[in-house]
Amino acid sequence: MKLNKKTKKQFVITAQKLAVIAREKESIRRKLAITAKEKEATRLKLVVTARELKRLHNTLEKKVLQRTKDLEQIRSKSEAILASIGDGLVVVDKEGKISYINKSFEEMLGWKSAEIIGKSMVQVVPREDVNGVGVSFKERILTQVLAGQKFVADLTNPFYYIRKDKSRFPASSIVAPVILNKKIVGAVEVFRDITKEKEIDKAKTEFVSLASHQLRTPLSTVNWYSEMLLTGDVGEVTPDQKKYLQEIYNGNRRMVDLVNTLLDVSRIELGTFVVESKPTDMVKLAQNVIAEQKQQIEEKNLNFSVSFENNIPSVKIDPKLFRMVIQNLLSNSIKYTPIGGAVSISLSLDNEKNLILKVTDNGYGIPKNQQSRIFTKLFRADNVIGKDTEGTGLGLYIAKSIVEQAGGKLWFESVENKGTIFYATLPLRRSKKQQIVL
Amino acid sequence: MLRNLPKTYTVLVIEDERPLVQVIQAKLEKSGFEVVTARTVDQGLHYMEDVGSIDVVWLDHYLLGEKTGLDFVAKLKGPDSKWKDIPIFVVSNTASSTNMQSYLRLGVNVYSVKAEHRLDEITADIRKFLDKPKEDKK
Repeated sequence: MKLNKKTKKQFVITAQKLAVIAREKESIRRKLAITAKEKEATRLKLVVTARELKRLHNTLEKKVLQRTKDLEQIRSKSEAILASIGDGLVVVDKEGKISYINKSFEEMLGWKSAEIIGKSMVQVVPREDVNGVGVSFKERILTQVLAGQKFVADLTNPFYYIRKDKSRFPASSIVAPVILNKKIVGAVEVFRDITKEKEIDKAKTEFVSLASHQLRTPLSTVNWYSEMLLTGDVGEVTPDQKKYLQEIYNGNRRMVDLVNTLLDVSRIELGTFVVESKPTDMVKLAQNVIAEQKQQIEEKNLNFSVSFENNIPSVKIDPKLFRMVIQNLLSNSIKYTPIGGAVSISLSLDNEKNLILKVTDNGYGIPKNQQSRIFTKLFRADNVIGKDTEGTGLGLYIAKSIVEQAGGKLWFESVENKGTIFYATLPLRRSKKQQIVL
Repeated sequence: MLRNLPKTYTVLVIEDERPLVQVIQAKLEKSGFEVVTARTVDQGLHYMEDVGSIDVVWLDHYLLGEKTGLDFVAKLKGPDSKWKDIPIFVVSNTASSTNMQSYLRLGVNVYSVKAEHRLDEITADIRKFLDKPKEDKK
């Protein structure tokens, strides 16, 4: 059968095709099976990841909570520390507005935090200088600190703070700028009530003053009795006895000078140093002092030179006090310059119409590491203590007080074993206020 | 008369420190003064009255008793005083300038700090002052 044969062939072909299809199907089925497996694997992985994520999230939340708690604790601890500081504390922003005050501030000044936060410190808490003169905004150190300086006002430079109830107390303070990213963002001030310290300091000064007055009476007795003996008013003494008496007399004179110096110091510190200013010819004053010291200059064989600029006008100062200044600087130069050395004194005017007194020597000098303390009361540099026993360490302290009181400056340049130059400048015309009022 | 040359003046010394009184008196007498001494303000005022011929007063600030030299000066230079023209030399160690100024305001002629002056200086100053013709004395 022809058809049968043809049909048979077609069957075969069809069968073959079916087989191919079947194979393809099988392969697809297999592939699908693999994909399903992979899907399942991915699903499983996702489940794990989700779990992990959840766990991490929980931990993180816990950690954040803990950290927040820690920070809170640190913050309240710092706050508690700040609040409990025994000294008054105030923080201001860069406009000088109060952003924080502590408990001591509240107690000392009578203001409650809520009343003054955001207000200007300078306006809320007025400050007065030692003489009870209000310190202006421009002169307030807070204002100056916001411009970048740090200020310390202590017992030697006290001021008064005015409380809410208008009463006042003496205070010492330190004001410093708060710097963030190299910019001043405000200032912080710490201050304390120094009523007690001031009382003690005053008592001490009064004691010195009283003791010195008391000392003068027996000194006068020694003075006048030895004078009577020396002048022969109570009979002749032998030359030998005279020599001994003279030493008693000289020693006593030195004691009188020392007591006078101590009295001057206590007057400076009690603020009872009376200044009687009048137009004074400084050249004449200097010449007088030089004449007095001529003997010492000659004894040490010093090369001494004087230079006074022409036309130096008279200055309104207290001649007695400035005599002390010149006398002090010159006698120091003479004392602390070896025999045969050079000492010079000059008076001149600078461009800004200041009178400049300059005392130069090529003597022992002041050691570098002690220069900052040279104006401190009773301080004497190591290198001269052994050389001269007469110094008290009070002269420069007094001299500086006198010069500064007159609105001038006193300073020096010195190299050990090379010499020293002391400068005193005095403004010919004094402005109202020269000192920085704290 | 021998007295004609240096005139003999009478000084009233008011000073409470015994050794100082003695040495002041010795010096003044050596220099030809008559000396009367007192240790309190009231004593001094009595002598002014009783002695009658005091030419000059040497006065300390702190004295025995409550009163100070200032009380003495106030009395002596007071408006109704008959001793207004008697010069007063305050010689004291209490050199506070308020004191010093009070004395000078009250009409004291000279204020010297004891410890800073020699006896012969003060004595010579007193004599010079007293020897000056009357109109020169302030």
